[in-house]
Amino acid sequence: MAVLKNIAAIAKGMSITFKEMFQPTIVENYPDGPGPLRGAKFQERYRGAHVLQRDENGLEKCVACFLCAAACPSNCIYIEAAENTAEHRVSAAERYAKVYNIDYNRCIFCGYCVEACPTDAITHGHGFEIASFNASNLIYRKEQLLSAAPAHLGANEVFNSADVAGGAPALPVPGS
Amino acid sequence: MADAPKEISLTVDGKKVTSPPGTLLIEACKTVGIEVPSFCYYPNFSLQGACRMCLVKIEKMPKLQTACTTVISEAMTVTTNNEEVRQARKAMLEMLLGNHPLDCPVCDAGGECELQDMTFSYGAAESKFMEAKNHKDEQQWSPVVYFDRPRCILCYRCVRVCGEGMDVWALGVQNRGVVSVIAPNKEDHLECEECGMCIDICPVGALTSGAYRYKTRPWEMKHVGTICTHCGDGCKTTLGVRRAESGLQIVRGDNRDKSGINGDFLCIKGRYAFDFADNPERLKQPLVRKDGRLLPATWEEAFELIGKRFSEIRDKDGQSIGVVGSTRTTNEENYLLSKFARLVLKTNNIDHHRTADFPAFAAALAGKTDRTASMRDVFNAPAILLIGNNPTDQHPLLAWQIRNNVRLHRARLYAINCQPIKLRRQATNFMEIPSGAEGKVAAFLAGDDTAADALTSATASRDGWRQLREKLRTEQNLVIIFGSEIRGNDLPTLVKFGLAIPGAKFVCLGDYANSRGAADMGLYPDLLPGYHRVADAGKFHEEWGKIPSAPGIALPAMADAAKTGKLKGLYVVGANPVARLGFDPFAFSKSFVVVQDMFLTETASIADVVLPVANAYEKSGTFTNTCGDLQLLKKAGEVSDTKPDFEIIVRIADAMGFDVRKLVPFGTGTRADMGQSRGAQSGEADRHAVWLEAHGLEPKMSPFDPMAILDEIQRLVPGYDVSQINLLSGNDQHTNLMSQSAGSAAHDGSLIAPANDDLFTSGTLGRYSRALNSVIENRHLQPAETEVAAD
Ligand code: SF4
Ligand code: SF4
Ligand code: SF4
Ligand code: SF4
Ligand code: SF4
Ligand code: FES
Repeated sequence: MAVLKNIAAIAKGMSITFKEMFQPTIVENYPDGPGPLRGAKFQERYRGAHVLQRDENGLEKCVACFLCAAACPSNCIYIEAAENTAEHRVSAAERYAKVYNIDYNRCIFCGYCVEACPTDAITHGHGFEIASFNASNLIYRKEQLLSAAPAHLGANEVFNSADVAGGAPALPVPGS
Repeated sequence: MADAPKEISLTVDGKKVTSPPGTLLIEACKTVGIEVPSFCYYPNFSLQGACRMCLVKIEKMPKLQTACTTVISEAMTVTTNNEEVRQARKAMLEMLLGNHPLDCPVCDAGGECELQDMTFSYGAAESKFMEAKNHKDEQQWSPVVYFDRPRCILCYRCVRVCGEGMDVWALGVQNRGVVSVIAPNKEDHLECEECGMCIDICPVGALTSGAYRYKTRPWEMKHVGTICTHCGDGCKTTLGVRRAESGLQIVRGDNRDKSGINGDFLCIKGRYAFDFADNPERLKQPLVRKDGRLLPATWEEAFELIGKRFSEIRDKDGQSIGVVGSTRTTNEENYLLSKFARLVLKTNNIDHHRTADFPAFAAALAGKTDRTASMRDVFNAPAILLIGNNPTDQHPLLAWQIRNNVRLHRARLYAINCQPIKLRRQATNFMEIPSGAEGKVAAFLAGDDTAADALTSATASRDGWRQLREKLRTEQNLVIIFGSEIRGNDLPTLVKFGLAIPGAKFVCLGDYANSRGAADMGLYPDLLPGYHRVADAGKFHEEWGKIPSAPGIALPAMADAAKTGKLKGLYVVGANPVARLGFDPFAFSKSFVVVQDMFLTETASIADVVLPVANAYEKSGTFTNTCGDLQLLKKAGEVSDTKPDFEIIVRIADAMGFDVRKLVPFGTGTRADMGQSRGAQSGEADRHAVWLEAHGLEPKMSPFDPMAILDEIQRLVPGYDVSQINLLSGNDQHTNLMSQSAGSAAHDGSLIAPANDDLFTSGTLGRYSRALNSVIENRHLQPAETEVAAD
């Protein structure tokens, strides 16, 4: 009896295996797929590399409140604040982030920073191709994190390389 | 004394509380650990009852009462936390937030804001107010004071600290009721002492500091408690430090934790004038003169050159190197310099910028104990006699202590001055005397009636003087404070008068942060540490080795000796005698001059070698304030490529071929033996090293560690044998000045040159502070200030 029972169980298990063998594959064809994402697909809520957002006027939303840095469990956000002046206005509030670095050696993509941000400045984008042969390349500076500036402000060399190549005025990346 | 009044007992939230009569309910609650939330209440200032945050339920009273204005009475029964009270607090907060902006992310107070904390603990989650908020733009009231009106919760703390605490009365209230606003004294700006006390005491982010605003956030900084490097009062200041490109940058100074002798007081210099550290003119590389020009060089090159030249001069010409010490370097550095001059350079030609006659003071008090007052005594003394000086300008903390002693303890202040100084407003008796007559005052007080002739004026008659003397003679525990006007022979005369008063204590006012330390550590041509005469150096011969027995030459004589070619080398550690003491810069054109400084000062620019140093905020060690309170410095800032003076002195000794172990007894003593000497268990030593580092102390295993010499100082300098554990944990320790040798009263009084700094200047150092300069410039733009009467 016991033998029969075992055979039945194996047959039941294998039937699923064989059935699945003839189903179409659902593995993504990354990186050989079509489109800019080369076959990668994301859930909307996927937490990838961060993007620092701009407001409707193209000003940076970040006001250098340090709350994201305080919330970060792996302590990977480094900020230096500075005051906006009439001649040099970067954000809409009194202060802005002069330096904003995220160290992707340490970031665990928990999303706490996004949760903490009072101005919705820091968000998770879908960037995931972060791997590098050099750990120091993993410290992203503000210029790499900022979302593309609206056309009237000029293009960001890092993100809008195609526009820049096409002749758009390039926003200088300080210190680079 | 009368019997201590009977304690009063009451019940708070079921707990039994006993406190002396007259205690405020809010304070009584604190004693049993019950917090009553408050905004407008601030200990030691007049009661305001403005915010109604402190409402509590007192049995048999119809309505809720404010705990900050209610004095306790027998058998009171208080509830601080029932539904009614909680609702009242919630309502108060909702009202405060009614027109409060949502600025927390950019507001400087964010993270240490009392309104945030209260809303968190006691507030409602949402507001019933729907109205648009009434916005007003931020105003700049002075280079260092900014006001953001919508954030103000009208607690009037700033008004009271400025008026009652500072006696400046620059802030006031305009309008009444809901439209009240805090306003500065000159319509749209402030003319005041710029102390920043109002900013510090503001519970919210309404008053913000020009130096710190928008730079960082409180939790992002490291907070290091150290001692102010400006005047001789020795305020404890907690510096907020953040990382910067060239090391660690200081961005804020305050003393909110009220540790130290100054409580939460700081003047403008302690609060803002740390910014000289990142002045772009700061030297960050040694300079060596080549072909007549000062050119950058390496440290090795510089040390080698100094070692070679100093050895040559010492061996060829004997006593022909002069040493000028500093009044802003630590006791350890001054002691080391004193020892270095005598042992390595083999000369007694060492001096410093003297700002008070400490040797005469030591001599006059020889053999007496407990006759020097600490800064704390000045706040608690029943009576104070102040002769000369203008503490409001030159010793802001001392002035604060005197003012608040008079205000809170009704102390009697007798002030005698040749100027109508501001402290006369607190004085029971103010006597204006002709300029330079302070010595006559000492003589008159000591019993010489003829001296009164030179003192009488329209306000001070002969009888007035006699009455004053009689009154002083009947005082007890009088604290006698005198400026550098009293020096030479006048000093023992005054001390003699004071010693006849039971419990009288003295304060001799020196001007810079460690003027007293420089004197105590023997930066004198004729005195060793502890005012021991070089001629009878006794135990120093045993401890140090051979010391030349003839006194060296004093500062002015060094310039003369250089002119005649007798002085061939000059070693200046953190001093600027060319600018401050009128040294002839050309006198040294033939001498080999080494200067250690932060900047290319007038003195540094005549040097052959200039070495860039770390300032007092960038090293550890101890300072002695003008009262003799010994306090610990902790390293806060850091600028790479500078070295502390201590290390530089040791390295020069090494470059001269001297055994540095004879100079700095490192690796020995109590603190060193925290495991290190137990070789096999070196893990133990490491753990101690980690612990010491974590506490800002360095394990005593290096000749560059100033703490290595502290044991020796404590052993050899009388009065410095204070509790080391207390000192190292950041408490002030009063050193008792007891000169075992007779000190020296015979100093030439003309060698004393008071700094005459005012509130906004600080010797050579002040010139490099942006904050101080901006305030000075701003004053030049404004019409001259007139004194405001106290209301
Ligand atoms: S990203 Fe957001 S949370 Fe982080 S500093 Fe900027 S405003 Fe604050
Ligand atoms: S004062 Fe306090 S509550 Fe008001 S904006 Fe500033 S941090 Fe926020
Ligand atoms: S800075 Fe000092 S003197 Fe000036 S208004 Fe504020 S408290 Fe008064
Ligand atoms: S400015 Fe600050 S200290 Fe002054 S009343 Fe307003 S909240 Fe209080
Ligand atoms: S009173 Fe003197 S020690 Fe205190 S903060 Fe001002 S300058 Fe510094
Ligand atoms: S603290 Fe009592 S009324 Fe403000």
